[in-house]
Amino acid sequence: MSPELLSIAALVCFIAGTTAAIAGFRVEMLRTSAWQFGFVGLGLLLKTAAIGMTCAHSPTHFFNSPGEIAALLAWSLAFSFLVALASSSARSLGALILPFVVVLMILSLVLSREGVDHGMSPSRYLAPHILAAFLGYGLFLTACGASVLYLEQTRLLKRKMFNVIFRDLPSLERLERLEILCAWLGLAAFTVAIATGAIMANELNRPFWLQPKMIATELTWLIFAALLVGRAVRRLNGRSAAKFVLAGAALVLCTFLLSHPFARPQAATANVPAKGRSA
Amino acid sequence: MSEPVEDALRIVGLSHHKAPVSLREKLAFTPHDLRSALGSVLARGFNEAAILSTCNRVEVIAVARSQTADPFQEIRKFLSEFHQVPEQEFTPALYQLKGLEAARHLFEVTASLDSQILGETEILAQSKEAYRAAAEHQACGPVLHKVFERSFFLSKEVRSDGGISRSQASVSSAAVALANKLFDVKGRKVLVVGTGEMASGIVRALRSAGVSEILVASRTEERAKEFAAREGGRPCLMQNLTDHLAYVDIVLVSSAAPHYVILPEHIKTAMAHRRGRYLCLIDISVPRNVDPLIPDVVEDAYVYDIDDLEEIAREGRRERELVAQRWRPRLAEEARELLHALQDQGVHDAARKLIAHAAAQRQEILSQINTSNMDPRAREELARAMERLQGRLLHGPLEMLKQAAREGEGSDAAAWVSRLFKLELDPKVINDKDGAASIDKKIECSAPPPEIPASKLRAGAGEARPPRPLISDSGESTPRQATS
Repeated sequence: MSPELLSIAALVCFIAGTTAAIAGFRVEMLRTSAWQFGFVGLGLLLKTAAIGMTCAHSPTHFFNSPGEIAALLAWSLAFSFLVALASSSARSLGALILPFVVVLMILSLVLSREGVDHGMSPSRYLAPHILAAFLGYGLFLTACGASVLYLEQTRLLKRKMFNVIFRDLPSLERLERLEILCAWLGLAAFTVAIATGAIMANELNRPFWLQPKMIATELTWLIFAALLVGRAVRRLNGRSAAKFVLAGAALVLCTFLLSHPFARPQAATANVPAKGRSA
Repeated sequence: MSEPVEDALRIVGLSHHKAPVSLREKLAFTPHDLRSALGSVLARGFNEAAILSTCNRVEVIAVARSQTADPFQEIRKFLSEFHQVPEQEFTPALYQLKGLEAARHLFEVTASLDSQILGETEILAQSKEAYRAAAEHQACGPVLHKVFERSFFLSKEVRSDGGISRSQASVSSAAVALANKLFDVKGRKVLVVGTGEMASGIVRALRSAGVSEILVASRTEERAKEFAAREGGRPCLMQNLTDHLAYVDIVLVSSAAPHYVILPEHIKTAMAHRRGRYLCLIDISVPRNVDPLIPDVVEDAYVYDIDDLEEIAREGRRERELVAQRWRPRLAEEARELLHALQDQGVHDAARKLIAHAAAQRQEILSQINTSNMDPRAREELARAMERLQGRLLHGPLEMLKQAAREGEGSDAAAWVSRLFKLELDPKVINDKDGAASIDKKIECSAPPPEIPASKLRAGAGEARPPRPLISDSGESTPRQATS
């Protein structure tokens, strides 16, 4: 089976998971996280297999084409969602996160997957760097999803709007815990990504800390670190913490766009010789 | 022989729908009454009986004998004589159901679709208790066993419907649900301000949800102590309200004060010591005792009044009513299927008895013939000839039974066959109105009794296997498919 077929199968699973998440607000049978867990879990397995097959075919693969970047982000978002679902059973989070996963998966199939292959063995830190960075993106964006749900739930609670969304959303406390868990995991992943990136830059004798994408990354890291410290000393919680996470998520998007410019796939690794290779 | 189940199964009762509590309490049965009451019902021409007596209903569920001229009248007389209440006093509030309607009604009652609060859980336990008492006093027979067991199974199915389990139908459960939207109520601390009657219900609901501590503050110390003793809480001083507000997670206010008792200043002061913990204030007093502006000025404080709780409860009741509407046709269908299964069993029983009777006669005649000087082959020929004769003789009556069952006259046919051949049917023998299709299959596919080899039986004259029970030996209801 080819990676493309596996990716299409994964997309079908993610679409099924998204449908279950959205229809779950109305359809009694789907009001359980098991459906989402099953569909998204299967989709994630298939997508992992597709990525694994791509890597096996090309050991010097850099995941720098727009299609591959979208695929990797979809994978990390789906993974983070499963972590969130397992830790909090926040079923309604699926209705928010999974549509993005589906859109990213479709983009990954539509956009060019002609990546830049340097034709030389990459640094041994490249794989952990990419993995950690994408997991960081996924986890921070999931934290952002939890924050959106938190803000919506507080709005409904304050305005006393006891509608179907209110009934399906988890408690404020659970959403806040989920937000913090994802922020902790994302921060850990980002720390690994920054450390491995710094080591690689050092190996290549390239500037690192003051590049635009690194400044955005460092700011993101600082925002989430401040959130967690503020949380630990009980000064930052509730709506303020949720808004903090949203600000952090905006920076995550900046970091992502600066690190992986979709318009210019080769820009991320501009100083290395390019050779087209299909994923 | 007893009545066909369509006529035999009877329910006479009254409930909260039509009978006021003053009447219900007159006809209620205590557990001590049950033995003599069930004995009295059985003595009035019933094979089986059970009595369901709860705060919302009193029902006599019975299976009449055929000789009983007017089973409804007998039950009414029993109720009147047992409780010394004139019949005319309660007859207008009575409902009298038989057969399909009775089975459907019992299914709905046990599934709490006929309860005052749809989906409440107590009625299932009460029905089980009624069934257990009837079984204990040997008043329960095959029909009631099956009807009750099926009703328990269906009740579980209805309750597993998320619409019932998730929605809140009372103000108390709505209060717990609201608090649960802020945090997990389990292990939280509650402050009760005031000792209003409604507060008791909510405190009980919170306690069942797992709150760890209940503080009771009242302007009158005595009342606080009394309430705390009754509801398992701890009295505390009203003067230290701000300290208590900083300590607890849920505040339930139910006082008779004509002004706001809890003000934004109280909450602001308390919040400074709460380190970001949410505070849920539930104000069920009228006029309100918690300033409704609190949520606007304090971020982590949420205030709900009695109207909010009512709204959630109303929505919950509406959702439960939708679930009930969804389930009622299914329960009616289940009742129909159960009666058909029981009715099939009646005709089937007649056929089975007839075949067993003929086989016994054949065996008896064979045993009377001296076959010791016959060679084995001739003996076998004789046995086979006797079997063929039996098959041919029974073909007509069995076909007639099948035909009658198809035409909805199974009961009469079974009665005629049993009279003609002097068969004794089980007390649970019942008629067959629509179960003709299954009887063909049952008779033809049935296994013979042990003394006659199956291979030697002709199709249509084979001994019928006893029907598969609706209730397993362990007392568990068999799956739905098994009944149809």
